[in-house]
Amino acid sequence: MSTSADTSAPAHGELLPTASARRTWSVLGGAVRRTGWHTPLALATVLAGSAAGLVAPWLLGRMVDEVSAGGGLDAVLAPAAVIAVAGVLGGLLTGLGGWLVSRVGETVLARLRERVMDRVLRMPAARLERVRIGDLLSRVGDDVAVVTASIARNGPEVVVALATVVLTGAGMTALDWRLGLAGMLSLPVYALAVRWYLPRSGPYYARERVAMGERSHAMMGALRGRGTVRAYRLEDEHAGRVAERSREAMDITVAVFRLFTRFGSRLNAAECVGLTSVLVVGFWLVRGDLATVGMVTAAALYFHRLFGPLIFLVMNFNEVQSAGASLARLAGVADLPEEPDAGAGEGPADSSVRVESVSHSYGTGAPPALDGVSLTVAPGERVALVGASGAGKTTLAALVSGLRAPTSGTVYLGGIPLDELGERRVREHVFLVSQETHVFAGPLLEDLRLARAGATPAEAEAALETVGALEWVRALPEGLDTVVGEGGHALTAEQAQHLALARLVLADPDVAVLDEATAEAGSSGARNLERAAAAATAGRTTLVVAHRLTQAQTADRVVVMDRGRIVEQGAHADLVAADGRYAALWRSWQGGVDQGERVC
Amino acid sequence: MRGRAPQAEGTCRVSALTTGTPVAEAVRTPAEPPAAPATVRALGGRTLRRNRAHVLAGVVLLSLHQAAEALVPVAIGLTIDWAVVPGDVRALAVCVAGTAVLFTVLATAYRTGARFTLRAVENEAHLLRVEAARRALDPRGERSGLRAGEVLSVATSDAEQAAQYVRAWSSAIAVAVAIIVTTVALLAVDVPLGLGVLVGVPLLMLLLRFPAARITRRSEAKQATAAGATALATDLVSGLRVLMGINARHNAANRYREASTRALEASVGAAASNGLYRGLVTAASAVFLACVAGTAGWMALNGRLSVGELVIVVGLAQFLAEPVQALGMVGQLFATARASARRLVRLLNAPDAVTPGNRSCGEEPLVALTGVGYRTLRDVDLELAPGELVGVVTTDPRDAEALLELLSGRAEPEEVRGTVTVGGVPVHELGLDALRGAVLVEEHGAALFEGSLRSNLAVGTDAGEPRLLEALRSAAAEDLVSGHSQGLDRPIADRAANLSGGQRQRVALARALAADPPVLVLHDPTTAVDAVTEEAIARGVAAARAGTVPARATLVVANSPALLARADRVVVLVRGRVRRTGTHARLVEEDQAYGEAVLR
Repeated sequence: MSTSADTSAPAHGELLPTASARRTWSVLGGAVRRTGWHTPLALATVLAGSAAGLVAPWLLGRMVDEVSAGGGLDAVLAPAAVIAVAGVLGGLLTGLGGWLVSRVGETVLARLRERVMDRVLRMPAARLERVRIGDLLSRVGDDVAVVTASIARNGPEVVVALATVVLTGAGMTALDWRLGLAGMLSLPVYALAVRWYLPRSGPYYARERVAMGERSHAMMGALRGRGTVRAYRLEDEHAGRVAERSREAMDITVAVFRLFTRFGSRLNAAECVGLTSVLVVGFWLVRGDLATVGMVTAAALYFHRLFGPLIFLVMNFNEVQSAGASLARLAGVADLPEEPDAGAGEGPADSSVRVESVSHSYGTGAPPALDGVSLTVAPGERVALVGASGAGKTTLAALVSGLRAPTSGTVYLGGIPLDELGERRVREHVFLVSQETHVFAGPLLEDLRLARAGATPAEAEAALETVGALEWVRALPEGLDTVVGEGGHALTAEQAQHLALARLVLADPDVAVLDEATAEAGSSGARNLERAAAAATAGRTTLVVAHRLTQAQTADRVVVMDRGRIVEQGAHADLVAADGRYAALWRSWQGGVDQGERVC
Repeated sequence: MRGRAPQAEGTCRVSALTTGTPVAEAVRTPAEPPAAPATVRALGGRTLRRNRAHVLAGVVLLSLHQAAEALVPVAIGLTIDWAVVPGDVRALAVCVAGTAVLFTVLATAYRTGARFTLRAVENEAHLLRVEAARRALDPRGERSGLRAGEVLSVATSDAEQAAQYVRAWSSAIAVAVAIIVTTVALLAVDVPLGLGVLVGVPLLMLLLRFPAARITRRSEAKQATAAGATALATDLVSGLRVLMGINARHNAANRYREASTRALEASVGAAASNGLYRGLVTAASAVFLACVAGTAGWMALNGRLSVGELVIVVGLAQFLAEPVQALGMVGQLFATARASARRLVRLLNAPDAVTPGNRSCGEEPLVALTGVGYRTLRDVDLELAPGELVGVVTTDPRDAEALLELLSGRAEPEEVRGTVTVGGVPVHELGLDALRGAVLVEEHGAALFEGSLRSNLAVGTDAGEPRLLEALRSAAAEDLVSGHSQGLDRPIADRAANLSGGQRQRVALARALAADPPVLVLHDPTTAVDAVTEEAIARGVAAARAGTVPARATLVVANSPALLARADRVVVLVRGRVRRTGTHARLVEEDQAYGEAVLR
């Protein structure tokens, strides 16, 4: 709510890198190579399966010739038997090949998405502060889903279709190179159709995506805020907005589809050109005794068999392209440097925190959020930061917890500067409970286990007990196993904050920073949470950004901040007695009516 | 509120007649569209009916397209028979022209038919989407039993899926036409052979149905695990800052790796059954083709078929595999459309949560609760006169919740004892518009909407800029305008994600003040702001509500001493009962429990 939230407005953050086409291929190639002999085996199987598919048209052509020549029954039965055997073999190989290709593709993808998630999760705090959360979400969410869907749905089929096209072309050429050439006459028509379609459809699809996004925004905004919509009688306005945006998106979809069907007609034209060429060329070859009727039949059947795979390949061009774009975005994240290991240097001597003449400003030219602040917190001491919005409390908390590096000055933990300790070590010692709460979707126990993997239910209950949350957790439909978070049992803001404190207890750090942990809980819950926070941080070096002055009242020391400086500090009782700024704040907090002499 | 006692059935019915449902229905019928379809079948029927022109045109043309596709092998056979075998150039010219005509018909039929069908699908999806959104936003509320997230997915993805009913029907018919045309063509060539194919194809379909059902189940399971992994990823990233604060990123990465591996296993499993199915289809159609080819070849040897007819039979047998497989897909399409339609019907036909009356307010919108019992509330008396600012302090959040439900007319009359009146009229007899026009309940955590600051403030009011600015000042939120180059037009993102928690709360408050309702009910309006701002807000709210003619009434449900100190009266609710009433100052002095509850 204070400076940090305003300056790091998420809408204007920076984007994560996107890999170049070359880099994407090499990331992909590396992953494919790691699957070892699985990839060549999969490709060989698919090719063999497609080759088996060539047998039937070829033998049918032979059968036509035999029949024309008036052969015996054997001339018919033998090819039929071979067609059946080749078909069964082909089925076996095609099925096996599809499975092998899927397995390779899915494995490559799984390792890639795990790597992406790993890089995102272990992103340095400084970078995390800068990037757009929406960008992160779309990388690990949409992009992974798009690539998964296209690999799972189309991967094997694209490979099989490609193999079929290549081998059938080869088969036609093997019958007679002129027949093969005739079939290939369709290729330029296909190419022209694609060249006509892609540049036209691209912008349309982009507009369609935008329109659909707008539509779902309107829908989600209205439905999520149902209560407010009703209270302000905005039903018609919001329903109208949904209808309007839905109609816009529909119009674009219809327009895109018109284009698509025109593309379809061009593909039909390509089929027509190819098929007619094969028949016409075949006609002249047969007339010139250069080929038999059977060969022409086989060639025509071959080409007819290609309709399906060719259309499939061409129509999936788009999808392959968009999967490629998503893949580049994933590769960009996967390429981020790995988090450096914790240095082997000296660890902090104790859990004291020292801030030495620290100044900080968000961006050059911005007014300083902190201005020469020095503060020492003894091990186990509890210090409360007090001040109006923009006084620098949250900034100081962020610097102490190592989420930001100060513009000048140094923060020490146990006598060692934070930047010497390295981010990983800082994270291990200093824990932060911020005003940002999140209940992780899944069983409540699993949420707690994020703080300590393998925590037993008993340990989890003990932690909940410490923060006074056990009672309501037990009252949940399935206690610790109740599914909470997105799509599960909805917890109140107060319960979510309770959970955050229970995680802190389980994680058991030396130093805790609480930033407005009791805000948003509603007034009746705040008191509960204050008790919970006190219990959770007992015995730890604690820095509390006091949103409510009761938090200051129970602290060992109160530090009053104003415009980036420390203006007062001391024990609560002493400060009240001193009748300075803190005393004025305290009176107002207690609801005194003498507000005339407000200082801050 | 009336006729609650079970034995008073007679009264109950009378009161229902005068004030209850029938009146409400009479009021709403003229403005309302006809009732939503009550069953999945009815919904499907309406879908086809209201898009009948497009559906019909689409079906006819797509059937024509399928018939043309079926005739392509016939064209090949005829060309070979008439032109290639005898070497007749004129016949070749005729055949080429015929093929060109066939492809023209094929392409045109597809292009136009697919457009008609898409238009019907999109139009239906649009209508269903808007209908679902309207139902979900209806001020009478709904009791579908769907969770908030589910309502959203019903209005978005289910509306789209249910509209696929159109596509399912037109595909089913077109595919059936393709099969019929093929059969007829085969019968025209040779009756016993045609009959054989006619029996063989359904047999083949039946054979493949069982693995198809299994494969659908497995791929659904696969999609579910993949979606689960993606949901986990986005959930973890949404809580990334929380994870970072408690050093849980390592655990989170491990958890994702497990989920990703599970998704991989499910995918590979599904790919195996997919491959098996694909292999089966390939093998089965090859064996079938071999049988047909063998028989047709034998017939050709005997002179019962010409060479071209042999090609036709073989080509048709090859082609048949496509519509047969498509029929299986149509079954899936129907199944998903039906499942979505079921959820839609549930939402559209959900009973109203409240049945409002149709009376309008009296002159003075005085709010009075007399002997009210509802949920946790017991025997509550509360009065709010014009010009008054009354505070309500609760120790149990459920009491506050119940009070807000009563005042916003969301409580069911049957569950309420005593009377709640606004302007002398019982709330349940008031029309919804009358009630919402008189009483605005601003809930804690009310939603803001995507748009601009201005569009968010100017809801429920046609007030000009000066009043909006004044409302912002009263809510101590003028820094949002003065500190921003675009002023009132600064953009607000979806869910106001570009504002901090405190800013959101102050904007929501300013919106409520700008609406300037006769009675304003505020719930915990200052939980996310610091003490100084809270003080300013208390001052601003009191001044804004007092400074208007006619005088406005305000009820503040909060435990904030700053707000309570400005109330004319404070009502203390303990365990659902009014424990005390008095000014803040007096209560602080006289009631220790009160002091504990609000003097933090």
